[in-house]
Amino acid sequence: MADPFLSIQHVEKSFGATKVVHDFNLDVEAGEFVSFLGPSGCGKTTVLRMVAGFEEPSAGHILVGGKDITRLRPNQRNIGMVFQAYALFPNLTVAQNIGFGLRVAGASRADIDKRVAEMLALISLPQMADRYPYQLSGGQQQRIALARALAPKPKLLLLDEPLSALDAKVRVSLREEIRSIQKELGITTIFVTHDQEEALSISDRIAVMYGGKAEQVGAPFEIYNRPATRFVANFVGTLNVLEGTVTDASAGTVRVASQDVALKGKLDGSRTGDTLSLALRPEAIALGARPGHDSKLAGEIADVHFLGSVIRVRVGVGGKQISLDTFNNSSTPPPVVGDKTEISFSSGDVLVLH
Amino acid sequence: MRTNRIWSWLFVALAIAYFALPLIGTFEFSLKMRRAAYSLDAYAVVLGDPRFQQTFMYSVLMALATIAVGVLLVVPTAYWVRLKLPHWRPFMEFMTLLPLVIPPIVIVFGYIRLYNTSSWLPLTGSAMGTNVLLMFGYVVLALPYMYRAVDTGLRAIDVATLTEAAQSLGAGWVTILARVILPNVAVAVLSGAFLTFAIVIGEFVMAALLSRPAFGPYMQLLGANRAYEPAALAVIAFLITWGCMALIQVVSRFAPKPPEQLH
Repeated sequence: MADPFLSIQHVEKSFGATKVVHDFNLDVEAGEFVSFLGPSGCGKTTVLRMVAGFEEPSAGHILVGGKDITRLRPNQRNIGMVFQAYALFPNLTVAQNIGFGLRVAGASRADIDKRVAEMLALISLPQMADRYPYQLSGGQQQRIALARALAPKPKLLLLDEPLSALDAKVRVSLREEIRSIQKELGITTIFVTHDQEEALSISDRIAVMYGGKAEQVGAPFEIYNRPATRFVANFVGTLNVLEGTVTDASAGTVRVASQDVALKGKLDGSRTGDTLSLALRPEAIALGARPGHDSKLAGEIADVHFLGSVIRVRVGVGGKQISLDTFNNSSTPPPVVGDKTEISFSSGDVLVLH
Repeated sequence: MRTNRIWSWLFVALAIAYFALPLIGTFEFSLKMRRAAYSLDAYAVVLGDPRFQQTFMYSVLMALATIAVGVLLVVPTAYWVRLKLPHWRPFMEFMTLLPLVIPPIVIVFGYIRLYNTSSWLPLTGSAMGTNVLLMFGYVVLALPYMYRAVDTGLRAIDVATLTEAAQSLGAGWVTILARVILPNVAVAVLSGAFLTFAIVIGEFVMAALLSRPAFGPYMQLLGANRAYEPAALAVIAFLITWGCMALIQVVSRFAPKPPEQLH
């Protein structure tokens, strides 16, 4: 296997007596789009800032293209960065902002003009060259910031919550645009976000972080469907968690809300009498029986939320509420609160959290 | 309600009279050099006096040097304190306010003791050395105004993020200061510069005690020996100060506007 393009090795960071990043390790391949996903204070931005050079690691090394850049100053790293607050220079026009890095590098006027035009075309804002940042919308400013970061052809692109300050509609369109530009240029990118939908939708891989550690690194499908830890399972997507007691470890039966559920092959290492948590995604549960669903629980409709294409139903099962999603069908009326019902699921979709 | 408004207007009128009457009186007196008629004779005498031109030019040059040194000293300092040493801000505020508390006469006596001809740095031993000493004295006098103006300008921009953005684009500290920070606080710097100009043009104590041919001592000399010319000179000095204030207002219109106004 080829050497990774970006290698973060045993990186730690302390501010005074507080350690905010613990033994962080990550290898990123050239051209890969990796997201750091986690709640506020999990250390994701600190790791990104260490890669950018704005923070110095307390321990560990950061290598780009095999070269150790740990002690290099930010302006010597050739790493582009886009900030949450856009950070466009207010005194410069859009064209001057985009050309700033090239000007600093001593590029000729003709080269700067050519590259600025290329970048403006790339972000589909060719007519904005002479505007000032205050004359642009938030989405336009962030696209200009992206163009500015890409103009000097950096080795690596860092995006620090670039969509957080934008409204919902612009966020969706801009994240798709960012991904499309990243694919077009093939630039290795690290994207920091606390929005799981953003991370799941545009990343090649996601590093889910918590308490200064990478809890799990994997493809979005893997992170969502096979969370490695209880935190990842809870943080990524909506999760129903039911407490149960193993009634027969050899047969794989668990008692949940006074009902037995068969979970063959899921209880490896568990003993009869153990308590454990069973987690299920809303979309893995159906109202009533469904082909392929081998487990069921009786309950009562507790709440119904009509969300347009999807109807989210809450079913009370032994004092706990379980959320499940069904597609809206105009010919089928939605469930009625208080009706007795049965929910079914495949034991293969159950995540056992020890 | 109506009574309140009457009282408000009365106080405004009193305040205007308090400030304007002496100026009107001075201006009126400056026009009375010719008997039984208003004239600009006093102004003609003052403006035609070679000592006026020499001292005024001297003070203008000193003001420009003071502004240049003040900007070079204050902008990087205020920037660095905001960026890296925010906990130093109260200390810096205190330090920069000291010139308002310590009288210029104390400062200049300190200078004379420290930099006299028998000291380790005999700045008062030559005219150029004394000019440099006076200029640094002016920098100190202008420090409260210049520092506050620049600090206010820096508060209006996201110094840390703009710095990091520039660094990620390859810029070093000098480039960041010259191309990112200074242009974005230019209006604040100009405000500080005009205040500095007004202070230096009218300053008397330091220039007199260091025996330099500045505009302040010239005004004092003229005031002690003539009748109408000092009044004309006072009006000219006021006009220079007001001109500086007007320029602050004019340049503030050209401040780079903060982004994110439109969404």
